[in-house]
Amino acid sequence: MRRRLRSEPHTLAGAYVLDAVSDSDRAHFERHVTRCPACARELAELREATTRLAQATAAEPPPALIQQVVQSAKQVRQLPPATREASTRRAGRAPHGRTAGRLLPQMPARLAGALAVAVLSAVAVLSAGAVLGAVAWQAEHEVGAAQQRAHQIAEVLNAPDAVILTDRVKTAGTATIVMSGRDHALVFTAVGLPQLPASRCYQLWLMGPAGDRSAGMLPSPRDGITSPVIASGLRAGDRIGLTIEPDGGTSRPTGAPILLMPV
Amino acid sequence: MQAALGNEAGFEALCHLVAPTVFGVVRTVVRDRFQTEEVCQEVLLEVWRCASRFQPGRGSAMAWVTTIAHRRAVDRVRAEQRAADRHRRAASHQIDYDAVIEHVEARLDAQRVRRCLSFLTPVQRESVTLAYYCGYTFREVALLLGVPEGTVKTRMRDGLIRLRYCMGADQ
Repeated sequence: MRRRLRSEPHTLAGAYVLDAVSDSDRAHFERHVTRCPACARELAELREATTRLAQATAAEPPPALIQQVVQSAKQVRQLPPATREASTRRAGRAPHGRTAGRLLPQMPARLAGALAVAVLSAVAVLSAGAVLGAVAWQAEHEVGAAQQRAHQIAEVLNAPDAVILTDRVKTAGTATIVMSGRDHALVFTAVGLPQLPASRCYQLWLMGPAGDRSAGMLPSPRDGITSPVIASGLRAGDRIGLTIEPDGGTSRPTGAPILLMPV
Repeated sequence: MQAALGNEAGFEALCHLVAPTVFGVVRTVVRDRFQTEEVCQEVLLEVWRCASRFQPGRGSAMAWVTTIAHRRAVDRVRAEQRAADRHRRAASHQIDYDAVIEHVEARLDAQRVRRCLSFLTPVQRESVTLAYYCGYTFREVALLLGVPEGTVKTRMRDGLIRLRYCMGADQ
């Protein structure tokens, strides 16, 4: 088997990204990939397909699950960025055997200077794909307009220039925005916004030199989560504002912004 | 303003975004409810722990997260069932793989993926779904389908290439 793999390692790429290989096949293939830039490219492409296969199964986890993870994360130290030295070390078998190094051995060490930018854009793509999963799941349960909205959201999230920004909301909660300058649009989500009385609603605004434009009302938070909302028509100099308004919304903001993010 | 993965509030927001996909794929492979939740927690903590090591130049972050999730899920089911036992069962055709595939496809919520899967040849589709959703190795899939191992390997690769093309062209 070893000899056969060695003579045609490329053919294992599909089985490898499907995790359909034994540990020894996996180790062998990963060694090959470190010397084969074309293989690394192909793996990234094939993973686009497996990622879709994963997103197609998306389902709501029990709410307690995330709470437990967030609690546990407080006890878990984040690893420092990989350095060249560390990546050489990673080539050996890590004690837990499941480190990032083993998972993604084809990735070379990156320059420490690029860290900030990289993490930021990494997060953008992360949420992009993730929201897409949630949206795909939702779309199954709704029809027509919702599907249309899901496609619009997916467009922003898949934009190559998508960046993510987070900020605290003054009252409570955290807002997360994925924005694409190319598409002049953004996707807004939030965690932990307080529930409002039925007579009030959260309204999103694009606030800029061109005046304040409503970007729509937020859906009521469910289990502390506000589903993604898309806002288009973004212009240079705009800021994102959030206010509390009478139910049904207003044409101009009347309340003081509880969130104001430059974008 | 902060990069979302560098702080706990941002991490929580991101957890809410990635969790449905992580939960879905882990549940599909692992099936047992309790173990699914356990594996999901491991996966999300791994994402938190290794956030700084992710390299966006080499594929999307969602691909990174699902890679972690799927591999953890597969590791879990393989640890549960010893390889030899699975081989034996696969060899004796005790697994009704048609039913397995049907079950998985019925649960696929995304119509687009279901449609793109239907464009694959039967061996491509069965190879990809048995491996990805049921956690079988290509050797086990070869036994299940009664097809040479080399054929299964190439069908997996070809199937994924077609899937990617179909789903990309569909957008």
